[in-house]
Amino acid sequence: MKLHFAALMAAASIGAMSLATPAFAQVTLKIWSIDGVDRPGIADTWSKEFDEANEDIVVEYRAVPFDELVNETLRAFATGNAPDIVSFDNPDFAMFSSRGAMLDITDRVKNSEILSKAQYFEGPLNSVTWDGKLYGIPKYTDTIGVFYNKDLFAKAGITEPPQTWDEFAADAEKLTDSAAGVYGATFSARAGEEGTFQFLPIIQMSGGGYDHVNTEGAAQVLDLWKKMIDNGWASKDVLSLGQWDSTGTFNSGNAAMAVSGPWEVDRMIEDAKFDWGVTLLPTITEGGDRSSALGGFDWGIMSTTKHPDEAFRALEFFSSKDGTMFEDFGNLPARADIALPASGDAHKDAALKVFQEQLKYAQPRGPHPEWQKISKAIYDAMQAALTGQMSSKDALDQAQASIDTILGK
Amino acid sequence: MKHHRIRVSEFGWGEGAFSSSLKRRLLHPKCFAIRLLPQREGWSAARLGGLMQRFLSGLRDGVGFDILLISIAMLFLIAMAGLPLVYNVLMSFQQVDMFTLGSFIRPFAGIQNYIDVVRQPEFWLVTRNTAVFVFFSMAGQFVLGFALALFFAQKFPGAATIRGLFLVSWVMPGLVVGAIWSWILAGDFGVLNAILKSLGIIQSNIFWKSDPSVSIWAVIIANIWLGLAFNMLLLSVGLAGISRDLYEAAELDGANAFQRFWTITLPMMRSTIGAVLSLGLIGTLQQFDLFPAITEGGPANTSTVAQYWSWQMSFQLYDFAKGATISVMMLVLVLFASIIYVRSTRHEVRG
Amino acid sequence: MTRPYVPWLLLAVALALAAVYLFPLYWMYITSLKSGSEIFANPPTFWPREADPSVYGAVWSRRTMSTFLWNSTLIAAGVTAITVIFGTGCAYVLARYRNVWVDVGLFAILMLQVLPASVMVTPLFVAFNQFGLLNYPRTAVVLAAAAKAMPFFVVLVRATFMTVPRELEEAALVDGNSRMGAFFSIVLPLARNGILVCAILTFMSSFGEYIYSKSIIQDPSLQPASVGLSGFLGPNSTDWNSIMAYSAIYVTPILAVFVLLQRRIVSGLTSGALK
Repeated sequence: MKLHFAALMAAASIGAMSLATPAFAQVTLKIWSIDGVDRPGIADTWSKEFDEANEDIVVEYRAVPFDELVNETLRAFATGNAPDIVSFDNPDFAMFSSRGAMLDITDRVKNSEILSKAQYFEGPLNSVTWDGKLYGIPKYTDTIGVFYNKDLFAKAGITEPPQTWDEFAADAEKLTDSAAGVYGATFSARAGEEGTFQFLPIIQMSGGGYDHVNTEGAAQVLDLWKKMIDNGWASKDVLSLGQWDSTGTFNSGNAAMAVSGPWEVDRMIEDAKFDWGVTLLPTITEGGDRSSALGGFDWGIMSTTKHPDEAFRALEFFSSKDGTMFEDFGNLPARADIALPASGDAHKDAALKVFQEQLKYAQPRGPHPEWQKISKAIYDAMQAALTGQMSSKDALDQAQASIDTILGK
Repeated sequence: MKHHRIRVSEFGWGEGAFSSSLKRRLLHPKCFAIRLLPQREGWSAARLGGLMQRFLSGLRDGVGFDILLISIAMLFLIAMAGLPLVYNVLMSFQQVDMFTLGSFIRPFAGIQNYIDVVRQPEFWLVTRNTAVFVFFSMAGQFVLGFALALFFAQKFPGAATIRGLFLVSWVMPGLVVGAIWSWILAGDFGVLNAILKSLGIIQSNIFWKSDPSVSIWAVIIANIWLGLAFNMLLLSVGLAGISRDLYEAAELDGANAFQRFWTITLPMMRSTIGAVLSLGLIGTLQQFDLFPAITEGGPANTSTVAQYWSWQMSFQLYDFAKGATISVMMLVLVLFASIIYVRSTRHEVRG
Repeated sequence: MTRPYVPWLLLAVALALAAVYLFPLYWMYITSLKSGSEIFANPPTFWPREADPSVYGAVWSRRTMSTFLWNSTLIAAGVTAITVIFGTGCAYVLARYRNVWVDVGLFAILMLQVLPASVMVTPLFVAFNQFGLLNYPRTAVVLAAAAKAMPFFVVLVRATFMTVPRELEEAALVDGNSRMGAFFSIVLPLARNGILVCAILTFMSSFGEYIYSKSIIQDPSLQPASVGLSGFLGPNSTDWNSIMAYSAIYVTPILAVFVLLQRRIVSGLTSGALK
């Protein structure tokens, strides 16, 4: 009797368990990104849509503050709590892919009907590639150019935006009106990634790269920047302002030119009480080599995932939404095959055209697993030169020595 | 509470009262037990039950009670603070990467991390900055805090209420304070420059955050503001503990205000000052939020201090071993703070 | 001190000092009301051209501030409870004796504070993960933050116990109380004011706990307000007037409580335990 009872209980409990689980097994995907902390963004919106579109998959999305994303992921990875999918800023990606923390998706992309390597710009694609293998896909991209205040240009009698850094400095001098609190130009030479983001393109257009920073051209432009700061054509605070705050002074009419990127456009339309335009980042010599910064984020699957197939389906889903990304979130897809729809705002459409042109010249930071150290060597040198603690050449030479050590040369 | 006060004065500072209380203390068995180690006794099964009993009653009523109270707190602190300390000290002698972040056992690196840290080009600059930051932050907080505490010890209408307002910086999260000061100290649109200019103190803007010669001062100013509440509060407490009678007696002897301060206030506050300075040093060495918000250690590392450098190494450059190494080097400074504090307690007067 | 105008003069000086000291607070409120480009205006404006209080409503609803503030309150309350329960006894013992072990104890308590929270969080995260505490993230933060708050509390409360006359405790012992009885019925009530005030100060400073919370608490519905604040700092954008509005919402309630309580706080500490 007793035995029967136990068997009955067991049968009942098995029955109850099978009732509790749905007809098919559900897979939980953890997705981390910086989006959606403040307002809806790409990753949180699409994760939700992917969750709703797939009965068999539950997405647990977590928004992590920008400054914390890499640390949180490292810590989670080391303790076995890593997410399945994560979205990193592009220079941070190599630290994970080079150490085998990201899943190699080369073959999956090859066999995919939705994804193909060919659809992406080369720069962003480079940032998710390590040792010839593909570890992720670009999420979106951005770059920098020069915003200029057309009203102030007209007042100073300048008809064309600057084409070279010499012209940039000369224009800045003419545009400066210290009595009215107006600087000729503003940019971000901050002690951080933003500083490197704005200065590395100069090194690249002078024929160098992150592994070769002490070029003559870079030293020349650094001297020009220093001259602008010393003469008051640019604020001394470019050394501590981030790009967003630096461009804030442009919007309030306190700077006539600003080096920054497409993320500024919406705020500028709202705040700027003057006519403005965007032009390509100046070159070192007339008609010389162009370069610009490559910003934006990448998607990747972590190698510790237990559900690589489902995670890859998520990437495919995200990439299939690229066409509406600009409309919905204002970010530029890292793809050449998508035409961006006109917004109807003349300023915005004109700016967008310039930035899309600029993207063709954008070069990645790295990829290198120790990118952050290389970046510090670069912005430290830039700041040492701009504050006059070292000559531009000495500062860049010192940076080169530090970088050589990091690269193991 | 009135009758207590009467009894306190009975047991006051008089020589006779002291010795009589001492005598009673020594004679009382419970107090006596405290001062002796438990005697060694033969170990037998029969005794075990009795021992257990004594142990339990000791917890309730004897030196065991003290040990119980202190060991709960110490065990908690050792688990929550001692363990991380060991982890960091170990890490400073090891090679660390993202895969071994979660374990204690890693390849041994000897003192290589220490050599590497000292060889960094910014090492001496950071050392100097740390010294400047710690010294002037603490000096500013202490002097201003003491001045305010003395000022508010005067009798005037609203003294207590207005003094309360000076505790605001205690309540403010460091993150918020950093953001606010970053705005106030901005070179062009910062309000501090606007005020100084309109007062005629400066002619042209000071670029607090971007000028290598003043950037460390930008953070020091913000930190003094932040630490003022703590210093003023503790020093006010110390001041209030000094008996009015001492001042009145000194005044009768013809001592002026400065002499009274020097011969009564300072010596009487020795233990308070020790506590304020040592806690202040630890607080200053842990002050971190202001750096990323105001200067990010720039320009060219001229405002980087050890704690920010350690954080930057670990969490921006992802070189965890060097970050841990720097934090272990800071241990020396806290050692110093602890010694100051412990020594200062020697001069305490028990109420 | 017979000159009658002196106290009023002192009051005037006190008000002037307070105005200078409180200026950063004023600047927080004023910045939150300015428009995006007015914040960057040179020279700065001391009063917003067009005050826009709508940012407060927007920030409140967009950031689920009520949840954030509730979590901050819970965490601060937990930290305070643990600190008071563990710290009071510890402070009492350290005040009761004067020997080398007390020196060692005080020394250890301070030395255990050598590391900034930012470098302590990784080992704690690893340990909490081992013990499954990460599933109770607010509890984990409370434990970690209480260890940080403890030394301050112990040092201050120890000073309070020093003002309790030892003779009172001894009299209670002679009267037949146990040590525990004397502690709870005599010593603790006499030090009550000081402990209460230190508890309030602990509560207020842990209300802003940030570093542990941001790493340990991953679920936004369990995070405190300090973590919510960092969400405004994006890679390419920083919403300054929202940050200031958020900060204002965040600190105003605790400032209000503080202003209401401050007379008691200050007098509780400055008057010592017996008056």
